[in-house]
Amino acid sequence: MTQIEIKRGAPIGLRAVVFALAVLFSFPGIYLIWRNLTEDSDPISLIGTERILSPLWRSVSLALAVSATTAVVGTLLAWFTSRTDIYGCKVWKVLLPIPLVFPTFLGAAAFIRTMNPGGLANRFLSTLGVEQTIEMRGFFGAWLVLTLFCYPYVYLPVAARFRQLPRSLEESSRVLGQSPIKTFQKIVLPQAGPVIAAGTLIVFLYTISDFGAVQLMRYDTLTRSIFTAQLANQSVALALSLILLLLAGVIVLSERIFSRVAFKTDEVVMGKSLEYELGKWRTPAFIFTTFVSLLSIGAPLLAIGDWASDGIFRSTVGGRPLTIDREQVWESSWNTLSISVLAGIAAVLAVLPVAYIVAKYKSRIGSFSHAVVIATFALPGLLIALAMRFWTLRTDWAFDLLNNTKALLIFSYVVRFGSLAMGVVLLAVAAVPQRLQDAGRTLGVQRGSRFLRIDLPLMTPGLGAAAGLVILSTMKELPITLLISPLGFSTLATRIFSSFEDAFVAEAGIMALVLVLISFVLTWFLVIRKADHF
Amino acid sequence: MTTRIFLSTVLIASLLFGCGGGDPEFLDGRAAEIYSGECSGGNGNSVTIYSGRTENLINPVLEAFACETGTSVQVRWGSSIDLALLLNEEGSKTQADVFLSRSPGPVGYLESKDLLGQIGEDVLSLVDEQNHSATGTWIGFSGRKRVLVYNTDEFSPETLPDSVFDLTDPKFKGKVAIPGTNGSFVDWFTVFIDQYGEETATQWLNDMVDNDARYYPNNRSIVEAAGRGEISMGLVNHYYNYQEVAANPDTHKALNYSFNDNDIGSLLVITAATKLASSENAEAAEDLLAYLLTAPVQQYFTDRTFEYPLAAGVLPNAALPALTALEIGSVDFDKLGGGFEEASRIVEASGILNR
Repeated sequence: MTQIEIKRGAPIGLRAVVFALAVLFSFPGIYLIWRNLTEDSDPISLIGTERILSPLWRSVSLALAVSATTAVVGTLLAWFTSRTDIYGCKVWKVLLPIPLVFPTFLGAAAFIRTMNPGGLANRFLSTLGVEQTIEMRGFFGAWLVLTLFCYPYVYLPVAARFRQLPRSLEESSRVLGQSPIKTFQKIVLPQAGPVIAAGTLIVFLYTISDFGAVQLMRYDTLTRSIFTAQLANQSVALALSLILLLLAGVIVLSERIFSRVAFKTDEVVMGKSLEYELGKWRTPAFIFTTFVSLLSIGAPLLAIGDWASDGIFRSTVGGRPLTIDREQVWESSWNTLSISVLAGIAAVLAVLPVAYIVAKYKSRIGSFSHAVVIATFALPGLLIALAMRFWTLRTDWAFDLLNNTKALLIFSYVVRFGSLAMGVVLLAVAAVPQRLQDAGRTLGVQRGSRFLRIDLPLMTPGLGAAAGLVILSTMKELPITLLISPLGFSTLATRIFSSFEDAFVAEAGIMALVLVLISFVLTWFLVIRKADHF
Repeated sequence: MTTRIFLSTVLIASLLFGCGGGDPEFLDGRAAEIYSGECSGGNGNSVTIYSGRTENLINPVLEAFACETGTSVQVRWGSSIDLALLLNEEGSKTQADVFLSRSPGPVGYLESKDLLGQIGEDVLSLVDEQNHSATGTWIGFSGRKRVLVYNTDEFSPETLPDSVFDLTDPKFKGKVAIPGTNGSFVDWFTVFIDQYGEETATQWLNDMVDNDARYYPNNRSIVEAAGRGEISMGLVNHYYNYQEVAANPDTHKALNYSFNDNDIGSLLVITAATKLASSENAEAAEDLLAYLLTAPVQQYFTDRTFEYPLAAGVLPNAALPALTALEIGSVDFDKLGGGFEEASRIVEASGILNR
């Protein structure tokens, strides 16, 4: 497997494309810098003050804790479902990505509704004589709920990685009589390391940018400081946001250095990957997976289902009628599905050149663009929405062309979620064997043609998984959808928000169930069916 | 291959599929409670609304307006604060003609940015003088009262205090929830500071923290938690509990309690409508503001959304607690010496947000 790799300089055309993409992706960052300058904010004077240090520390410590647990949980689940003989493997593959699709404000509220004192689980347990009174809140609550909702950011790319890892080393290891756990430690883990790190970085940045879950868990973070300062003290909010972005940039760059040291370009292995027999660990692995799913999917779904069924029941016996009809649900579902699929495709296409240049060439522009795409994920969606509005208003032609269009909405989604696609796309690109390329070149095939005929077919499964991550995230997206979409455009998430705000929980519950149902189908389509092609 | 076919179908269909359909001749559902007549044809006018009030409650009103007047209506829904920030970003290029706010803070913010237009005298006169701005930049169209929501298993009304000041009593230790970062709470606290002075207000909040008051992010989460018994009581807007009871009549065990009428804890918080200064449909915008204050719409607000009507001649729903003398329609960002910012700062410094 030793491979001497000489990275060449990238072709000028590719560099130009990647540079253009970097500019597009840095719109929110440039907006923040511009606004900081025009509003006379003073981020430098804030650094080191109590106003930033304590919320920053709370954000960072939470993000570290959530990252650590999601790394472990996500990797274990990925290994169980893609490489072992765990019970119900196919079922888990459809179920495990689902937590991604709960809008956090609803998911966290539903989780609280089920788990907290007086909640559904509590009522059920007290009929059995068990009085559970743990109140999920603060650091613990935020850590738990974010771990449960964020592990798919690690799970999905790592599962994709495990499915394409070369078999030869593992097989020899097994022949030499190593236990599965030893093999996992010594061979699988080091090879999947960079992917785990990339997924964990996404979790870290997401946790820093999250507002919905930490707010409901009553854990005070930097995003809370930003949000409450928005109206009252805009310059402070802008300065805090810029500091958040810079922090993210530093973290992303250091992750790159770490990854570059460890990253190997491994080759795609066609055919079914090896399956371990878990043996005596089969039951514990099953219990662990069930436990995680019960908390992350079961607990919120219980409350959501309760809201929905109560509301439907009441409306049929003459209680408050539902305020939504079938047509609205259908329209929102269609909007949700179509816009998120388009955003998923667009995001993959947008990050593909960046991933390509990073994986195949030595390029400063490549590393810079990569950092910009990923660091942007630390910004709350509201800021991205405001930045996009800001840019379309700068020039008349951009305004005329883009205002009230789905194109602008999709572009905003791509900027918000491109980071999610990046890790998996990078993996897919890196996995294309260089020797196939070389063979193609020797045979006199043009570069473009080589890409279409050699690279693309080999990358397709990985690109599908990347699009899936973006699609599931777009389906629940809220602030950008509300502020950037064409007037009158509603998605399931915007209707859930509207209903939930005023305690129309039945309506919110019904639409959340539809959202979960759609994501089941999409997951099956993107993750399961695709996996069979490996 | 099937993947490609599927994706291209989705792609093409999404381009073809648009919103469509003409107006029905008659309205149905809750919009029909407001206007039951035949819809008039389009009058060529249109009005674009940014609404911080939610679709479930306000859309029937807008449907009725469109049907009755023939003006076409477009809406961007969102949270009041987000929409106010968006309006500030859009400035004079905004497509919005009207902004409906859930709480006074965002209105004051837009006023401080000089983005609000003058509302005509004939519209302003539809409400009492204290329910519209002196400069004519906003008009109230419904009211929400600050109340104490309490869990009925743990407290009865006789054991609850007359004034919000009494909540610092040891018998309420660890029992009261405060929505410290919530817009309408900060608005309320701004008025508190204005009336009692910074020292008294800060002291009260610090005493609440010492009395182990608990932080929740918003009204709704307090009402929900009080209904489950997770928290005993909390300072909220009155109207959330009605919605929660309607949604969970069997399991929600919380009721509203009103402090004394003249207590600051009984403040009436107004939801306001504004017209943007840059509006090119000023006439249709005024028509809409006036429509919000017609008797059928005001009746709808009090019967269906359990709010206080503000137009003359419409009585509050009998289920609502009696009205009080204290009212607030907008938070003054400039003139109160940055009152809103000051309130936010005191809330943050009190440490309530980590409780």
